[in-house]
Amino acid sequence: MPILQHLCQLLYDSSFGTMIRESNNAFPIIESVHVLSITLLFGTIAILDLRMLGLVLRPIPITRVAQAVLPLTWSGFVVSFVSGFLLFWAEAAKNYSNPAFRAKLVLLALAGLNPLIFHTSIYRRVHQWESLHISPWRARAAAIASLTLWSGVIIAGRAIAYF
Amino acid sequence: MKLRFALLLTLALSISAIPAYAHHSFAAEFDGTKPVRLVGKITRVEWTNPHTYFYLDVVDAQGKVTNWGVEGASPGALSRRGWKREDLKIGGKVIVEGYRAKDGSNLADGRLVTLPDGRKVYGGSPGDGGPGDDGTDHGSLPGTSK
Amino acid sequence: MSLHALFMALAHSPLGHAMQASKWDFAIVEMVHLLALAVLGGSVLVVDLRLLGVLLKGESARSIGRDLGRLLLGSLLVMILSGVALLSEEAGKCYYSPAFRCKMALLTAATVFYFTLHRRALIHAGSGNPNLWCRLAAAVSLLLWLGVGIAGRVIGLL
Repeated sequence: MPILQHLCQLLYDSSFGTMIRESNNAFPIIESVHVLSITLLFGTIAILDLRMLGLVLRPIPITRVAQAVLPLTWSGFVVSFVSGFLLFWAEAAKNYSNPAFRAKLVLLALAGLNPLIFHTSIYRRVHQWESLHISPWRARAAAIASLTLWSGVIIAGRAIAYF
Repeated sequence: MKLRFALLLTLALSISAIPAYAHHSFAAEFDGTKPVRLVGKITRVEWTNPHTYFYLDVVDAQGKVTNWGVEGASPGALSRRGWKREDLKIGGKVIVEGYRAKDGSNLADGRLVTLPDGRKVYGGSPGDGGPGDDGTDHGSLPGTSK
Repeated sequence: MSLHALFMALAHSPLGHAMQASKWDFAIVEMVHLLALAVLGGSVLVVDLRLLGVLLKGESARSIGRDLGRLLLGSLLVMILSGVALLSEEAGKCYYSPAFRCKMALLTAATVFYFTLHRRALIHAGSGNPNLWCRLAAAVSLLLWLGVGIAGRVIGLL
């Protein structure tokens, strides 16, 4: 058995993972938190992305929108990640072979890479373009990538149940 | 744009595997014209979220043994209807009245299950449209008009 | 036509048949519902946190409300349309589900509140610090919308 699969099986068989998986209330609650956290995570970053595309909040500089939104997005990410990890712990062995789950992880990694590239490049010069109603094309590309990748994560997440 | 992406992703991920956890109403996964009545001994129980499963060996008139799977609601939902995991003892005799999966596999939904201790418990949700659904939490026997 | 008959009509409509028969059609509608939920939630959060005086201080609450209001109403419309499609797949179950009824009540309350007291609060808040009433309106709005989301989850759990 490949080592990754072995690790997944260990998590799955653990008493903690089993407890969550067979629970009356814990699993439904954790899953509900995970699903609703997409509002904190995706809903807020979408507003920043849409601002860069010039579709919302045009009078407000990018930096102000980012300052308002990013703490919320980060909080959403923490909640999603913790709840998601608990769900994974409970279902690890099944998730390992689930193509939707694998796709979700790939998309998640890309969704995390996108802002890293963005913040170390075009965003460095943000004070040059923060007040523009429509941001430079590199920022817009990052915004479109962000909207697409996070949508993909959510879609793949929902698809897990179908495989 | 999001919908197009959704469709593309769905297409890309499509495989022919039978989904174990797909959300469905009765009609999407089970066939109301294929009633089954399974009597057998429980071989395995998966008391898991999001759906519970148990398996039983059914012996037909010729003595052939077929293993059937029965899908149920989540542990929380079942416990609210009076089921406990311990009620499904391995080797215990169980009677399942339900309907067969649309794809013809040996899978049924447990609409009315007679547990080894003799209690009858209802497996559907009120109003899910499956047979036996009378809008309450208790259901009526499959096959009665609805 | 009674409410029950209306639900049954929806279940037996062409939409209902399509949603019940195909698991992927249903899955796609679910995904759209989920994406719209995220966008709706995000807009509600930013508008109400401004109304609470937590972020974008100094910016006009009314302008933010009006601007993001388009996003909010657009995503709400998508949620209602996809919601009707989802309902057509399990109309009977939803009719009897206390969670569904609760969700519809909260949704109605949230929407009515949005178009009335909430709108007034946004206008009143101006660009300065919001007073107690504005912050109360924000809190009520957040709680109502959160309630809609939680009730929606519970439908599938009962």
